[in-house]
Amino acid sequence: MDALLEFATGPLFRLTFAIMILGLARILILDLYGMWEAYRKAGDKTIPWGLTISRTLEWIFPVKRVINHRPIYSIVAILFHIGLLITPTFLFAHVELWRSGLGFGWWTISPMLAEILTIATIALGLLLFLGRVGSRNARALSRKQDYLWPLVLIVPFITGFVCANLTVSPNLYQLSMLVHVFSAELIFVLVPFTKIAHCVLMPLSQLVSTIAWKFPAHVDEDVATTLNKKGAPV
Amino acid sequence: MKTTPINDEQRAKAFAPNKKPEVMERQNLTVRYHVEDFEVEDRPRRFLEAFAAILRHSNYRFALDHFIRLSAKCSRCATQCQVYLATNDPDDIPCKRSELLLSVYRRHFTMAGSIRGRIFGTGHLTDEALQEMAESFWNCTACRRCTMECPVGIDHALITHLGRYILSEIGIAPRALVVSTREQLEGKTGNTSAVPVPALVDTLEFLEEDMKEELHVDIKFPVDVENAEYVFFPAVSDFLMEAETLMGIAAVFTATGDSWTTGTGYFDGINYGLFYSDRILERVVTKIDVETKRLNGKKVLIGECGHASRSAKYFLPAHCGGKDAFPVINIMEYTYGAWKAGKLKLRPNAIAERVTYHDPCNIARQKWILEQPRELLKAICADYVEMTPNREDNICCGGGGGTVSIDEIRPYRTTVGGLAKADQIRATGAKYCVAPCANCKKQLRELVEDQGIDCEIVGLHDLLYKAIEFDPSMIVEPEPEEDEAVEPVKPDVAGSADE
Ligand code: SF4
Ligand code: SF4
Repeated sequence: MDALLEFATGPLFRLTFAIMILGLARILILDLYGMWEAYRKAGDKTIPWGLTISRTLEWIFPVKRVINHRPIYSIVAILFHIGLLITPTFLFAHVELWRSGLGFGWWTISPMLAEILTIATIALGLLLFLGRVGSRNARALSRKQDYLWPLVLIVPFITGFVCANLTVSPNLYQLSMLVHVFSAELIFVLVPFTKIAHCVLMPLSQLVSTIAWKFPAHVDEDVATTLNKKGAPV
Repeated sequence: MKTTPINDEQRAKAFAPNKKPEVMERQNLTVRYHVEDFEVEDRPRRFLEAFAAILRHSNYRFALDHFIRLSAKCSRCATQCQVYLATNDPDDIPCKRSELLLSVYRRHFTMAGSIRGRIFGTGHLTDEALQEMAESFWNCTACRRCTMECPVGIDHALITHLGRYILSEIGIAPRALVVSTREQLEGKTGNTSAVPVPALVDTLEFLEEDMKEELHVDIKFPVDVENAEYVFFPAVSDFLMEAETLMGIAAVFTATGDSWTTGTGYFDGINYGLFYSDRILERVVTKIDVETKRLNGKKVLIGECGHASRSAKYFLPAHCGGKDAFPVINIMEYTYGAWKAGKLKLRPNAIAERVTYHDPCNIARQKWILEQPRELLKAICADYVEMTPNREDNICCGGGGGTVSIDEIRPYRTTVGGLAKADQIRATGAKYCVAPCANCKKQLRELVEDQGIDCEIVGLHDLLYKAIEFDPSMIVEPEPEEDEAVEPVKPDVAGSADE
């Protein structure tokens, strides 16, 4: 089991983390390139930056609109995102691992806060799952991945919690650690290929839609020619 | 906003079949709007061909790629859509509506989708799916309210817009819009209401006489004046249906003395292309450019009309010269500017009854025109109230996205699309609801009539007309009965082009 764990935390970690980073970089670059191409073709190149940026910020820091609609679900979702990002990034044990690998680390949260965040994230993930199952609207839209994601995302939290707290049996510790690492790595691999890609794409959405409404100057002629409709009556 | 969904009786009324069975059979299409006959065979293939052509030449692809990658399916948008709030039908949840087209895109135009589809032999666009799109995309009023509430920023109105565009390329588009557009682009009159120039000129002269009688001011509608500051394009239907609005606008210009003109070469702001085809949009907006150039005007002035304003403001630059295109302003911006500059005097409390304001989606959603009409109304009304939500969060009148022009779906518009709006208007208890848009006005009038609400729908300038204080030098003595020539004291203020 030791060897497996070593492999999982060593080469496999590096590979899956790289897949995530490169995968996200790929879609980000594709997105930006698509936007640039569209902008180049656009007949009107003025971008209402003020509105685009303020609407983007409204959702990156979603305080303005959450209370109006589905407030409980929204607050749960926001806190879940916070737990999801803060806990693994600033956990002392994780930062130490980075430090040993990279030679530098960063600020960490206190063990107490880490504990609270972990438990909260698990609870919030479950609530999100239940919220989806319990809402007629959400059920009407949901795909398999939508139900699975909150559950998958809390697995490393549960196992991480077990490792940190239930250290009585070395076997349990090792097993949890293995699941902890593997589940996190599974998540890394899936991120760029599923809706979790919104972590990099979402801040661009407002700009995407602004630019998408900027039509190329001579669309009529081009589309008509391709469809053999040039000069055809309305 | 709380809206009680429609009951079975209302549902039956809203969705009652309204087409002859033989037509439905011939066209193999269950939609409630009338469609001109088109080639029925092989529709899915032709849809995909049109989709491919549009993707190739337009700017949609990157946006669709973006949207399919990040849709969160959180269902937040369901809380926003006035159609869904009324029907309570999951198929009307914005995200679900958009998925109709996004799934076609994913399956046929992305590599992963087509590989998966080929391996499993699934997901090919079927005729049923195509019919569902034809129905769903015209149930949506393209109001963009859902987009405002989507945490990941999916633009459903863009998707609806694209879906309708592709459908129109295979011949599926509401007949009402197509026929009007045909007259506008290919007909003798060159406008959507088929108003011939002599009738236009007659109407304007008639209104001038009317105003002189009412206000004792020589108010003119300058026609074909060259070099004017503003060339005026209202929704052409205003010449037939919104005399008061036009009179208010002419009165404003008379008071300010600025130069404006209506051109007989083209005088229609309506652009149904915004609702169903980018190609049409481009061709129609170009007519505005041509006419403004012909008259050597300086700016394009759009009347009280949301979609006309948006299509000119955003697509004149797109198709007619980018930053060199004529600047476009909406009449409310003009009037507000003149009032602020002290060129226009308004009488406080001129309107005693309670007044409320409806924000047309096409000018409010992007925060383009929000405060100007409100300030003007507050200046002249004794009792002005807001409806909630308002401004960029407004609720659509229920006739947006061109649906108001489809007369055969009126029961749908006034029981489903306009239900939330009806609740809103009712809650204000207003006597007048100001709706500065030709489309909103028509829809809201039908709405208050069908919903039994005691409220009169008017334009902003209809009310301003009653509140303008003219310079005393402009007042002309009433003419003697025999109509013997009495020269106006101050002739033709409005027509002078070199102010
Ligand atoms: S709000 Fe956006 S992500 Fe959520 S269901 Fe609607 S479209 Fe999908
Ligand atoms: S654009 Fe308006 S009508 Fe269409 S789905 Fe969104 S909220 Fe509903």
